[in-house]
Amino acid sequence: MRGCHALFAGALALLLAAAATASEPVHIEFWTMSLKPKFTQYFEALVQRYQAQTPGVELEWVDVPWDVLQTKLTAAIAGGSAPALAQMNVPWAYDYARDGAIRPVDELMGAARSAYTEGALQDVTFLGHVYGFPHYNSVNVLTYNRALFAQAGIDHAPATFLEQLAIAKRIKQRTGQAGFSPALGKIAGVFLEEGLPLIEGGRAVFNSPRHVAFLSELADAYKAGGLLKDKLFSEDNFPASIDAYKAGRLAMMVAPPAALLRVRDDAPDVYAVSDVAPAPVGAAGVVAGGWLFHFAMPRGIQGRQAQEAARFALYLTNAENQLAFSRLAGTFPTAKAAIEDPYFQNMRAGTDVFSKAVATGASRMASVRTLYVAGIPGFEQLNKRLQDAVEGAVIGRRDTQEALDAAAAYWNRRLGAP
Amino acid sequence: MGGARSGLVAWCFLAPALVLLVLFAFWPVLWGGYLAFTEYKIITPPTWVGLRNFEDLLDDPVFFISLRNSLVYLLIVPAIQLAALALAVLVNNRLPGIRLFRAVFYMPVVTSVSVVGIMWGWMYSDQGLINAVLQWMRLIDEPIGWLSDDRIALFALMFVTFWRGLGWYMVMYLAALQAIPGEIEEAARLDGAGAWRRFWKITMPMILPTVLLCSVLSTLGAVKVLEEVLIMTKGGPISSTYTGLYYAYDQGIRAFHFPRALAASLVVSAICVLIAVLNFRLLRPRQP
Repeated sequence: MRGCHALFAGALALLLAAAATASEPVHIEFWTMSLKPKFTQYFEALVQRYQAQTPGVELEWVDVPWDVLQTKLTAAIAGGSAPALAQMNVPWAYDYARDGAIRPVDELMGAARSAYTEGALQDVTFLGHVYGFPHYNSVNVLTYNRALFAQAGIDHAPATFLEQLAIAKRIKQRTGQAGFSPALGKIAGVFLEEGLPLIEGGRAVFNSPRHVAFLSELADAYKAGGLLKDKLFSEDNFPASIDAYKAGRLAMMVAPPAALLRVRDDAPDVYAVSDVAPAPVGAAGVVAGGWLFHFAMPRGIQGRQAQEAARFALYLTNAENQLAFSRLAGTFPTAKAAIEDPYFQNMRAGTDVFSKAVATGASRMASVRTLYVAGIPGFEQLNKRLQDAVEGAVIGRRDTQEALDAAAAYWNRRLGAP
Repeated sequence: MGGARSGLVAWCFLAPALVLLVLFAFWPVLWGGYLAFTEYKIITPPTWVGLRNFEDLLDDPVFFISLRNSLVYLLIVPAIQLAALALAVLVNNRLPGIRLFRAVFYMPVVTSVSVVGIMWGWMYSDQGLINAVLQWMRLIDEPIGWLSDDRIALFALMFVTFWRGLGWYMVMYLAALQAIPGEIEEAARLDGAGAWRRFWKITMPMILPTVLLCSVLSTLGAVKVLEEVLIMTKGGPISSTYTGLYYAYDQGIRAFHFPRALAASLVVSAICVLIAVLNFRLLRPRQP
């Protein structure tokens, strides 16, 4: 009888303990990347709504500047104090997934995966698993100065990169202004967009005649003054590019539609003579400017916390919230229902340049992918060598073939190529 | 007994500073030194790889460019020392408004390096003040790419370092000049020594310890230059403005390759120690 009492007391204690654990609120800390203060109201309202409809969950929003997020997150993961969700871009997620610092979320996502676009899901699929909840994406459009085009006698926007180079040279010749500023600080991405491979069969192949011909075109445009020289080879040449466009010193700008809002606010006279067209598509057929942001779940987030974090991530990235965010930010959603929303349809009918830009971008979301180089050991060092070779060749300091041959030889030696 | 007690008291006073030094200086240096010989990604434990990170450095041409540029940067040491000394001699005079001049020359020292970098970035740009003035004076037809031409970008950065540091060394020399007793100068003047002779026979020997200090500081500062590169050129164009410390920063903070960054830092530290020793040997005041 005494044994029965003890058993009953033990079971009761376990039940109470379990009930206490279940009733304890789950703390979900989530990090976003550089979204304060512009989106403070959006996130605070979203957090309030979610907490009101989900008792037992305590949310904590932390916004981290983009340039320190990776360092802080890495240290937090190593120290066992990582947030339940962290917003990041695809290349970072790939590195974290490879090192086992974030966990797959396939099971947690479940049937909800069908809500996202296939391209976005493919972007966050590494090693056969989905590693994140897709949030917003970006896509470039071509914004051009109609006045400079008319002055140069050009009546159509370029459809390819090479055509854009030809137009840039003509604009310089006829107007004295630069044509555009390609992202030469990310030459690996430019090559990939143009369907020019970096490696084949374990060997560097970027010294092929096609690569040399492509760089020769760039060098020619540079020499003719068709390319904006300020920060041309910087990793991020967008600030210099938009400054020049706003000042009327640049005829074309390949950037996300949100850039037009800055032109509208800072340089209404230039905005008034601006028009947009689809960004030139390279031989790879991928629309430039795809850069997916998503929420990843660090390793060590398990059990009930993982389940609640996933539920919140699905809410955060559902069509309704993504659409609201896109309307505020001028970005593009990755939830299918949000893309099909009348908001984007109405944009197509709009006459304003920004509306036209958003509609142009939205119409190409299906072919947007985040392009980056993965799986090459020591890529940073190798890329630096390629980057220097390209810069030397484009500005005419080195012979193109020689520069690329030397860089390819360096790659092959480092890669132990056959 | 008294000696032992006073020793204990001294250690007690030293302890707080020593603990902080051990925690925030010695321990990171030792741990960082160890990590330079490992493969380490923060989220995985370090594994010993011997000299592999140093071999990687030897295989990277950018590292050699960085070291060469750090040595080229040393050219500003004599320039900045001579200019600061000359300036200190000038502002050591009792002239109307001299305090204002001293403040103006010191202003770049107290200005944030970010502001300095952005300001000089604008001045050096194609549409910047320097090119505009040169074009207005019809000295050039096309803008000079001060920061985009690999042949001159490093020198443009060196000038900014020179501009930033001039006021600091001027103040140090000024303090040394004002510490020279007036009666010695007076006696030399009465004995018929001219200004040039007084400078070389009295002033220079008496400020030599300051010259040594300033030389060591500016030499180490030149070898360790980082901020100007980080803000203005990020090592470009064509890696022509990489310096030893910027290379370490780039490897660690941008490329996330901490062991290689630490290996590069060790090499830069060794160069700093070597140069400091040379400075002491060459400039140490000799006993008569």
